[in-house]
Amino acid sequence: MAEVAATNRLEFTFDELMTDDEYDEPMIADGVRCHGGYRDGKYVSPRGVVRRPAIESWRRQLANDEHPLVHIPDKYVPPNYPSVEQAKYLLQAGVVEPLTRSLTIISIVEGFGARIRDVVVPDLNVEIKEAIDGTALAHLTRGLFEAHARDEAGYRDQGGHKQMWEAARDIGLDKPTIPNDVLLRLMSGPPRGERKRLFPALSEEMEGMITMMANVLVIETFADNTFTWAEALLGDPEVSANPELAAHMVSCIASDEVPHVDYLTVALSEIRARTLITSDGSTELQGAQVVDAIFRRQLKGMATQRPRDNRERMRSEIHEAIDDAARAAAISQKFEDLDSGWEFPHQDDEELDVLLTPA
Amino acid sequence: MGTLANRLTRGGRIGYTALVVWLRYEVVELWDKLRGRDPKERDLSPIHQRNADLIFATAVSMRGMLVKMCQIIGTRSDIFPREFVTTLSKCQDSLPPRDFETIREVVEADFAKPITEVFAEFDRTPVAAASLAQVHGARLSSGERVAVKVQYPDIEHIIATDLTASRRIAVIYQRFASNPLDFLPLLDELQKHLRLELDFCREVESANRIREFFADDDSVRVPEIYQSLSTRRVITMEFVSGAKVNDPEGLAAAGVDTRDLMDRLMRIFNRMILAYGFFHADPHPGNIFVNAGENGKPVFTLLDFGLAKQLPDGFGMGIFELMFSMMTFNESAMLRAFRELGFDTQKGDDESLLLIARRMISRSDTGTFQGEFTEEMTDEMFDAIRENPVVTVPTDFVLVARAFSLLSGIAHTLGQRANALNAMGPAPT
Repeated sequence: MAEVAATNRLEFTFDELMTDDEYDEPMIADGVRCHGGYRDGKYVSPRGVVRRPAIESWRRQLANDEHPLVHIPDKYVPPNYPSVEQAKYLLQAGVVEPLTRSLTIISIVEGFGARIRDVVVPDLNVEIKEAIDGTALAHLTRGLFEAHARDEAGYRDQGGHKQMWEAARDIGLDKPTIPNDVLLRLMSGPPRGERKRLFPALSEEMEGMITMMANVLVIETFADNTFTWAEALLGDPEVSANPELAAHMVSCIASDEVPHVDYLTVALSEIRARTLITSDGSTELQGAQVVDAIFRRQLKGMATQRPRDNRERMRSEIHEAIDDAARAAAISQKFEDLDSGWEFPHQDDEELDVLLTPA
Repeated sequence: MGTLANRLTRGGRIGYTALVVWLRYEVVELWDKLRGRDPKERDLSPIHQRNADLIFATAVSMRGMLVKMCQIIGTRSDIFPREFVTTLSKCQDSLPPRDFETIREVVEADFAKPITEVFAEFDRTPVAAASLAQVHGARLSSGERVAVKVQYPDIEHIIATDLTASRRIAVIYQRFASNPLDFLPLLDELQKHLRLELDFCREVESANRIREFFADDDSVRVPEIYQSLSTRRVITMEFVSGAKVNDPEGLAAAGVDTRDLMDRLMRIFNRMILAYGFFHADPHPGNIFVNAGENGKPVFTLLDFGLAKQLPDGFGMGIFELMFSMMTFNESAMLRAFRELGFDTQKGDDESLLLIARRMISRSDTGTFQGEFTEEMTDEMFDAIRENPVVTVPTDFVLVARAFSLLSGIAHTLGQRANALNAMGPAPT
């Protein structure tokens, strides 16, 4: 399948969107066969030979129609906690457990990204006024969600990001002991409140789909800092058992995530550019109004209180682990001295909103 | 002399039952061979059913170990035909009670004083009777209403007799049968279980341990135990009542909001199985009461910790990885999870293990695994394992699968799903 041929089209089959590039050798992560592979010595992401140019085609079409792309302002993307300096210091002080736990939870959460394939997509031809032929939207259930799911959790005989994160952790931290409480921590945390519908006139499936897509896009965008953090930490020869390989593994995952951010951005922007029809068929709502309101709510939740709570929980876990180490007080003091001092935005910050950029 | 006669009677009855069961298979096999037919082609379901019915009837009349053995067979779908599992799993702990005098003797012997000095009131009629013990309502001198579980006085002796007889029969059967099943490991397992279940001190420890797990969770209750009024054969606990978890009318009458009842219940079992590695391994509906908490939210009371089970380190993570890889169709991860859990094949091949997972997934109603071990799926899995005897299945996995399958059964009566993976995140408010 030639990449050039794909870029001239807007309609693709499921199988085309699943097609891999030809690799010289497969990606083997710490002994586990994973997706993607190497061509001319460079890592090439999976299912990209058609998917990459397809997403580019749909983006170009939005640009031609002069519709903007949704964009998350960088200034609200929280830095990873603990910072690289703090994490490096912990490893040097022999406090490995919180970082092992954190990397393990990242791998599990990444894997759960596969649930995107279970999202109920409404009949878009009925609930969207304008035609959706030749859009990313029309391909959500024709390969885009499935490719995303396979990237995150692997498929059949290939591992995905879950397994690649595990490999990065084991390579960088030299097969650390996985804390017994990983699943418990995953199940703990603040209770999950009931989400109120913002647009009850729309079908539940439509609002649910947009909410989920906005949610995943925020997570994927925020994850950028996690990749930078992990690459720097696991690639640091002073603390990593195999800096080159561990950092490479993280960079491969990061490059695989690019099409996820891209297709979600394009598809949400396509909805913004259209008119949504309420479930009783009586009213029309501007897509921009719906997407922006849902996006704003997701962003406000995910950029303010939630990461603040997570940070506090992580901080107390780290101090618990430090307390078990020799020289606990000194380690604790130095760890706090290395804090980045990041201030989370307040929920009422009016600027805390999605931005638009030219497509 | 009485003891010897009793031993002979019980041994004889067990031996007779075993002989009839065995002969039913042998006779048809011989008959088929005489008529030049391949015995393997015969549908043995009717014989399995008749034999299961006979064993069930014997167990109910003889009680003691046989009831427990039936319950264990009822959990071992990986070894026994479906007819045995279905019939013998009905051998629930619900049996005619023993007379009050027998119970009084145990209480008075264990506390070395008259029952009237231990309890201000003691109901002569029990609330429930089971194979090893029965439960009576009582009142303390402080006025509190309590439930008292009292072990039958002769039960240890009955069990020893039955186990000895069963072992002898198993050895004889293995010597004479042409293609015998190895029952001795099952009897070892049974003996281990019974030893644990007969030690009420352990049951008390298990209840206390699980109560501690949920100390910060108002939605789970484990009855308080009165330590000073509990012994190796008597447990005195807080008297609790509530709607049965699989009784929609009872739940409605109790004002319980059942909308996400199963999701909440799955979180409780996820915490025990996946996170703490110590769990209540018998979540049948009679062991879970529900009351209405704040705003009608369900409050679950867990009962009967005789079958609480400690899992090996890392087992919870292994179970999670298996479910997760099944959900995501990741077969290489599935194989690693099977191996981590202790599954094995004689030749170390992967295909048999994958076949089991594929067959299991094929029985889900969506054709995919969404995080729920339904009864149909676990039945299919154990069918596949039974048909492929080269696969070794860890007992702990069987118990966990059974627990999830029982929860799935409860979910279906409520029109909900018992999805363990959905219940992995933080709890709903």
